Amino acid sequence: MMDCTQFRRALLADPRDASAELAAHRATCHDCSQFAEQLMRFEARLERALRVDAPDASIRHVRRVFEHRGWLAIAASVLVAIVVAGSLWLAVPGRTLAADVVTHMAGEPEAWQTTDVPVPGSDLGAVLSNSHLRLKPDVGVVSYAQSCLFRGHHVPHLVVQTAAGPVTVMVLVHEPVHMTTQFDENGYRGVIVPAPGHGSLAVLTRGEATDPKTVDEIAARVQNAIIWTDGAN
Amino acid sequence: MRPDLLRFAFWLSRDRALAEDVVQESMLRAWKAQDSLLDEAAAKPWFLTIIRREYARTFERKRFPTVDVDELVAAEDPELSAAQDQDLAELRAALFKLPLEYREPLVLQVLMGYSTAEIARELDLSNAAALTRLFRARKQLRALCGEDTRLDPEE
Repeated sequence: MMDCTQFRRALLADPRDASAELAAHRATCHDCSQFAEQLMRFEARLERALRVDAPDASIRHVRRVFEHRGWLAIAASVLVAIVVAGSLWLAVPGRTLAADVVTHMAGEPEAWQTTDVPVPGSDLGAVLSNSHLRLKPDVGVVSYAQSCLFRGHHVPHLVVQTAAGPVTVMVLVHEPVHMTTQFDENGYRGVIVPAPGHGSLAVLTRGEATDPKTVDEIAARVQNAIIWTDGAN
Repeated sequence: MRPDLLRFAFWLSRDRALAEDVVQESMLRAWKAQDSLLDEAAAKPWFLTIIRREYARTFERKRFPTVDVDELVAAEDPELSAAQDQDLAELRAALFKLPLEYREPLVLQVLMGYSTAEIARELDLSNAAALTRLFRARKQLRALCGEDTRLDPEE
């Protein structure tokens, strides 16, 4: 049986380690569960810090090379860069799912209004039916429902009014994940949870009003309120 | 050009211009050595290995002055201001201070998505040694950032 020191050592070495032994210890130890939550928030910041702005750098570099070399050398360099980068495009991991979700949120500020006015049922039904799901009425007031283009697919983008304020839900049927990931960046706090057989759910709140535990509870409530209508479990 | 390749080179070298040079030269070397890539699925570790070797060669060729962390952070400031997130400045300052032997496996894991086994293979370490470096990297980084480390285990 793993003890607290072993758990924390393992998690500091690899916070995304999803082994059953770690999960079992976390489920039975309050302090280690808190430690894991704190570490995942730090990890989200770390990932963001590592993603320095790179595209501008390459433009500057091409400009600098242009100043020091002739056209022929530049053409050769650019050709090589395009061919090699193109061949590697699929092999190198891209932006994280959480980062893309946060970026998408920033583009739709109007969705965050606090209101008790629900979106028309026909609008909500149309958005949900495209992704083969329904929502139980006890999820709360759904005040915003749009079908948004996200990573090449149209996905439901909903806002549910809760006691903790408006909560955004994105149903990402094309984005399967293996484990729950919490994130806290750019003023958005949220969680991405696996939806077995149906990709994943991203649940976000805005500002400091909600703590990670509340976000988890809201995510669980939303997940329980979803009824999939495509026959898959 | 794929941004993550430049980011990896940047965190190796802590210098944008040098990172750009390293990636550029690595692409030329990759192009010349493309016949040695037998399995397309292995393109990522193959290319990152070329970048690491090119960085090591560049480091051998040139003598770099001592790095001033404050200057490095200041150089990133315009972008951080644009992102309105000064918290990241502290974290980047801490990353700049982390020794390469800890910074490199951390970048491979967090930025490039490498598993422990892949990190160990790339850095020519045992799995246990790779895990120890990752553990120490985060432990040092959290302390440098002023995180609450009361629950962190001792070495």
